[in-house]
Amino acid sequence: MFRLQHSPRTDWQKRADDYGFKFHTMYGQPYWDESAYYQFTLKQIEEDIEAPTEELHQMCLHAVDTVCKSEYWLEKFKIPHTFWDAVNQDWQANSPSLYSRLDLVYDGQSSAKLLENNADTPTSLYETGFWQWLWLEDNVKNGSLPKHADQFNSLQEKLVNRFAEISGFYQVAYMHFACCKNTDEDRGTVQYLQDCAAEAGLDTYFTFIEDIGLSDDNYFTDHLNQEISTVFKLYPWEFMQREDFAEPLLQASTHWIEPLWKSVVSNKALLPLLWKLFPNHPNLLPAFFEDEVNKADGQKLVKKPFFSREGANISIIEGHQTITAIDGPYGEEGYVYQAFSALPRFADNHTIVGSWLVNDKAAGISIREDTHMITQDLSRYLPHIILG
Amino acid sequence: MTQKRSASINLHRMRKQFTPRPLALGVASLFLAACSDNREDVIIYKTLEDCTDDNPNRVQACTLAYEEALEEARKTGPKYANMQTCEYDFGPRQCEYVDNNGGSFFMPLMAGYMLGNLLSPNRYYSQPLFTSYSPYSPYRYRYIMADGYDIGDLSKKRTKVKPGAFKPKPEIKKTMSRGGFGSTVRAKSSWGSSSRKSGWGG
Repeated sequence: MFRLQHSPRTDWQKRADDYGFKFHTMYGQPYWDESAYYQFTLKQIEEDIEAPTEELHQMCLHAVDTVCKSEYWLEKFKIPHTFWDAVNQDWQANSPSLYSRLDLVYDGQSSAKLLENNADTPTSLYETGFWQWLWLEDNVKNGSLPKHADQFNSLQEKLVNRFAEISGFYQVAYMHFACCKNTDEDRGTVQYLQDCAAEAGLDTYFTFIEDIGLSDDNYFTDHLNQEISTVFKLYPWEFMQREDFAEPLLQASTHWIEPLWKSVVSNKALLPLLWKLFPNHPNLLPAFFEDEVNKADGQKLVKKPFFSREGANISIIEGHQTITAIDGPYGEEGYVYQAFSALPRFADNHTIVGSWLVNDKAAGISIREDTHMITQDLSRYLPHIILG
Repeated sequence: MTQKRSASINLHRMRKQFTPRPLALGVASLFLAACSDNREDVIIYKTLEDCTDDNPNRVQACTLAYEEALEEARKTGPKYANMQTCEYDFGPRQCEYVDNNGGSFFMPLMAGYMLGNLLSPNRYYSQPLFTSYSPYSPYRYRYIMADGYDIGDLSKKRTKVKPGAFKPKPEIKKTMSRGGFGSTVRAKSSWGSSSRKSGWGG
């Protein structure tokens, strides 16, 4: 695993315009950065990332099964009581999942360690599945990267196939897609999924989360009053379970993607549970609930809220001292503690590997860099290749 | 060695901006020809009799197709809370009162229905069509599908439609309340950290 300097394509911004990549620069800071790339060997990809990713996913599913069968764990995961039956039923019904992203600490040598599982609303999908793919194609075409350079990235292909499977599962010919207002990034992610679904032969309709309505016969509707029968929502389950439509949600027959059972996987309580179910697994870091943090023996810990996105409200503590902290709006439901594992550094950057799954198949990686030791939403995105 | 990345991606679909560039006429017409190839032939009938007159030995298929189209029109057609707004869009005396399990509404009358594959022994397809006689409507004297797809002008009987035009459309419902999702994002956004993008993915 190396970080190599590389000349950006001279026309990359025009390419971004052509393909509708609107959030490559945010708040005047580059988000997409092709002035360098990461290089992996095929062995690193297949043995250190791909195989552990699929194994970790299976472990997470085992954890979901454990939680769904136990009131103790449902309580511990802060799933609202009214949703206990529904979550369990959704899990027993095998409601199909689309995708997720495992964030890994990986330095090219030691076992990759799971930091967290973004199983409900992962983003940086377009950049991964399409944009870095195009970067490699362009660079091979213009001769600045060797012809046999490859990339761990079958994300788009797998997403298209998965949409075809899901439309077969629910017997639907059209699908709704939804995200919140006023965010180019989320809209871009959802548009990308619409493109993938259309490629799979589905008609797609978009509506904003805030515009979703409820009909008098208990169907969710879009802004045009069309029934929403199947919908991909880029909006967290833990929010939906606590909002005004939470109760109708339990009555309505809408199929949700991601499915309701993903609210167990995207929950940070998953981390200490995994450590209990699979102690000392080479791809796990020790993790603890608040009431058992004494088991950590004073080691350096990362304190994470049950529900949080993109590094918000995460702090690093040693003994009783907070070393570094990111503030944010999360944390009211409580925290979990995970053993600190430093991100590897490449040219002064802290680098994190996002490993994607489509359903249960490893589908590619995304690389993010940050100058801060906790990677956040403004971390830069860099492409990667496989060579040798 | 097996490739670890997507073998191919449909770049045409991914493209969002089309830079205008001078197109050689030959290229343009080739492109149009390629497009029209996968479009589907359809026949449009205004009434059940139109269909049976054309296909005297297919009366049963005509009847079923007509009834299916009517049923589909009730589910997926435009719906209004009162007669005035419906007539504004579709013209005077072009709307009716409908009361079904989805609620009660005012809806435009079905102007006709289109059939694909009628003469095949296996499976025909039907979809209801609407039209407007209102001077305020962009659909005046045009056949449109429930989802607003424009089939062509009212004089047409045979035409071609996009592939997938016969796919089921979402049913139109009476929405009683709106805005029950999204309150958390409002609350957390007003918390107001300066560096945050507004997205809620992770």
